[in-house]
Amino acid sequence: MKNWKQWSRRAAMLAIGAAMMGTAGLHGTAAADEVHVLNWKGWGTDEPWAVEAFEKATGIKVVHDYITSFPETFTKLRTNPGYYDVVVLNAAFIKQAADEGLIQPLDTAQLKNFNDLYPDMRDSPQMNFDGKVWGAAWMWGGTSVSYNTEVFKTPPTSLAVLWDPAYKGRVCWRDDPEDSVRFAAMASGQNPDAPADMNKIRDKLRALKPQIKAFWKSGDEWLKLVAAKECDLSTVWTNNTEAAAVQDKLPISFIVAKEGAIAFRDGMTMGKDAPNPKGALAFIDYMISKDFYAGWVKVGGAPVAANQKAVEELPESSMTRTILATPEAIGRLNFKGPLTDEQRQSYLDLWQETKAYFAE
Amino acid sequence: MNRFKRQWAGYGLTAPSYLWLTVTVFLPLLVMFYFSFLSQMPLGKAEPSLTLKQYGLFFQKDFYRFLTWRSIRLGIDVTFFCVLFGYPAALILARSVKGRWREAVLLLIVLPFWSNALIRIFAWTIVLRGNGVVDQAIHVAWPGAPSIGILYSYPAIVIGLVHSFLPYMILTCYISLQAIDGSLIEAGRSLGASHFRIFRRIILPLSLPGLLIGVVLIFIPVTGSFMEPRILGGRDGIMLGTVIEDQFTEVFNWPLGAALSFILLAIVLLICALAYPLLKSRLRLA
Amino acid sequence: MRALRSSLFTNGYLAILLGFIYLPILLMMLMAFNQSSNYTLPFEPSLQWFERLLGNDTLWRAGRNSLILAVANTVVATALGTMTSLAFSRFRIRGHAVLKILLFPPIAMPWLILATAMLVFFFYSGIGRGLHAMLLAHVALSLPYVIVVVGARLQSFGVDLEEAAATLGASPLRVFFKITLPVIAPGVAAAALFAFGISFDQFVTSYFLSPPGVTTLPVEIYASIRKGFTPEINAISTIIIIVSMLLLLLVSRFYRFGGTQ
Repeated sequence: MKNWKQWSRRAAMLAIGAAMMGTAGLHGTAAADEVHVLNWKGWGTDEPWAVEAFEKATGIKVVHDYITSFPETFTKLRTNPGYYDVVVLNAAFIKQAADEGLIQPLDTAQLKNFNDLYPDMRDSPQMNFDGKVWGAAWMWGGTSVSYNTEVFKTPPTSLAVLWDPAYKGRVCWRDDPEDSVRFAAMASGQNPDAPADMNKIRDKLRALKPQIKAFWKSGDEWLKLVAAKECDLSTVWTNNTEAAAVQDKLPISFIVAKEGAIAFRDGMTMGKDAPNPKGALAFIDYMISKDFYAGWVKVGGAPVAANQKAVEELPESSMTRTILATPEAIGRLNFKGPLTDEQRQSYLDLWQETKAYFAE
Repeated sequence: MNRFKRQWAGYGLTAPSYLWLTVTVFLPLLVMFYFSFLSQMPLGKAEPSLTLKQYGLFFQKDFYRFLTWRSIRLGIDVTFFCVLFGYPAALILARSVKGRWREAVLLLIVLPFWSNALIRIFAWTIVLRGNGVVDQAIHVAWPGAPSIGILYSYPAIVIGLVHSFLPYMILTCYISLQAIDGSLIEAGRSLGASHFRIFRRIILPLSLPGLLIGVVLIFIPVTGSFMEPRILGGRDGIMLGTVIEDQFTEVFNWPLGAALSFILLAIVLLICALAYPLLKSRLRLA
Repeated sequence: MRALRSSLFTNGYLAILLGFIYLPILLMMLMAFNQSSNYTLPFEPSLQWFERLLGNDTLWRAGRNSLILAVANTVVATALGTMTSLAFSRFRIRGHAVLKILLFPPIAMPWLILATAMLVFFFYSGIGRGLHAMLLAHVALSLPYVIVVVGARLQSFGVDLEEAAATLGASPLRVFFKITLPVIAPGVAAAALFAFGISFDQFVTSYFLSPPGVTTLPVEIYASIRKGFTPEINAISTIIIIVSMLLLLLVSRFYRFGGTQ
């Protein structure tokens, strides 16, 4: 009896406390001026110093939501219409997102830094169509092979190293259908945008079975694998490799293999029915600015900006400058083109099947 | 009149619960069943039609069947180890530990079970990682020791899940073991039965209901697990559960996800149904 | 001698088992106090992760959501479940066997399937996602447990007292509050605790039903594990574990585990 009284009192106090916190929370979110950003974690927009600078300058709070693949971006946009303000998209996906009514065109007059962008990137047909600008060119980078510099005294030169039995169980692979197919296509001498012989690709991927130690999906997952010395080789974004070397002092570097490397261009787009379009444009403008890029370069591990005034900020010694963006290496980069829905579905099927085979 | 009133009062008291379950469980399952026959997502301009395509995929592609088998095997393995380690623990607690001490140990077993399941899985990533904390500690004590890193492997998934579900098994077994009348065992002993015989003829049959409840409570959720394989499994982390999760959160193919869900459900129910007559005869024995 | 050997054996077994259960948890907690962000040794004591946690809005918001949900779930599920339990034990209900079987799906189905079914239904029916949807899900998952736990208590005492009071002219409500409720209170309290625990620990349904910006602690922790984390996660985990253990210790003072009631 006594216990019960104590309990009911305690429960009532808890309930009241929770209700008070709840109402406080509702006010908190409703009153603040926010901009909702959808991006990869650790891909620039969430750099703590940048978020702080932007929030201080504009009074707009930056709220992030993260993805681990671009298909996930589409799923999030489709299931949460009217939530996202700024969406970072691979240039090859922008047309599809626009056709589906997931993003809206940008009013570039509001972007002070728009004219500083490299004209060929700014005016790329992947971002400009139907007479409108759908994305602001932002960054470009590569997905290549990174290696442990303590294991490799001389850098490997060929993708074949990923299949080399000497590195059995030492490869960390990016868990992504498209990249997997592209790497297998390059390694088997095919056009990564439209591989002719899918059977060859299937065999090539299956042959990775003894090699692969682990898959990773987010940059942080990869970093923790490398920090724990789980892998000597990995397929990974070049700027993450550089960040791991500079910020985390890990013995790591990357190559642009003789068969090539994957390259991607990302643009900043605005969600359809964005709740804060003004804030979105302000954020995009800051993200393509020289200031932001200079800051990112200072931290280490920045990719290549689409802002031509900004690129000079990149130190001469940076890996991005010496390995990726050399005229000779650029010639071997395969910039991702758009895929048809059928292609994407078949890549996904093939990749799931391959992963099931790995688990056998 | 009074009887009539009582009948309605009874319905009135149960109605809110069942209304709630209808909205959250029965209707959603029905709608999802319908979804599993759709050709595509009914969104925007898309005009889906009814089709058996999603179920057909399961039979056309070997790897879906392989992954289903993998999920089932994971359920079997985890349940097996839970029985192997949990049942003796329950037996010891019920039969040879007494008083405050018993209560304390039981509490210690239940305590972590009340913390978050995710946190416990996450904790294993720190333990199992090659060059992780345990590995490093061993190397400090014994330089040159081989690495114990088994994170990102099938055993890692099993360890994490056994850790998560072991308390269920210990508790359900303990409850039925503790209810066994001590005089039965005394009687057996005075008749000269050996320890093993007492266990086989008295203790095991009488504790079987608890054991079986434990098995069901573990087997079913483990076959549908996706978070644990995802975090601990690495290259071996692909299960039917993770593929279903992908359909919903990543590739936005809800009809296929729905169909795969129902196939998994059907298989789990089938296994339970097949096992039921066997269990029933066992239970009757008890 | 033999007894000693066997008690050594049994105690040893229990010790190893407890070691298995606690090793990862204790290590995880230890790492919350370690300087390195990549979980590397040597151990350098530091409180920086707890300090960083103080400034982590997202995690606090998620924690607050978890708490609100758990409390709301406790109130709703305990109330509805107790009502149903009462009806089962005190009223004749036609078809109560079927009704009891219907309690099984929420317990006996993989949560993944229930959660995805709810996602599909809530998304297309306009119920939508968010805290309200998670509350719908959590209550559904806790109801069967509440009904069973309270029902067990109700069965253990007869209807004599209630009937005596009723014949003395007490109204049904008065009978409930003055007689039934105090007697079943320990059962209700245990059920409430179950409901709280189920909700606070619930990951799968919350994960599928959380729109961006509205997360609970488990959802946030999962997102962090997959998309990037620091020992801040250890710090918040440490806090959760300590709080839930204290809560359970408190409860065990009047709800004895393993003992008879």
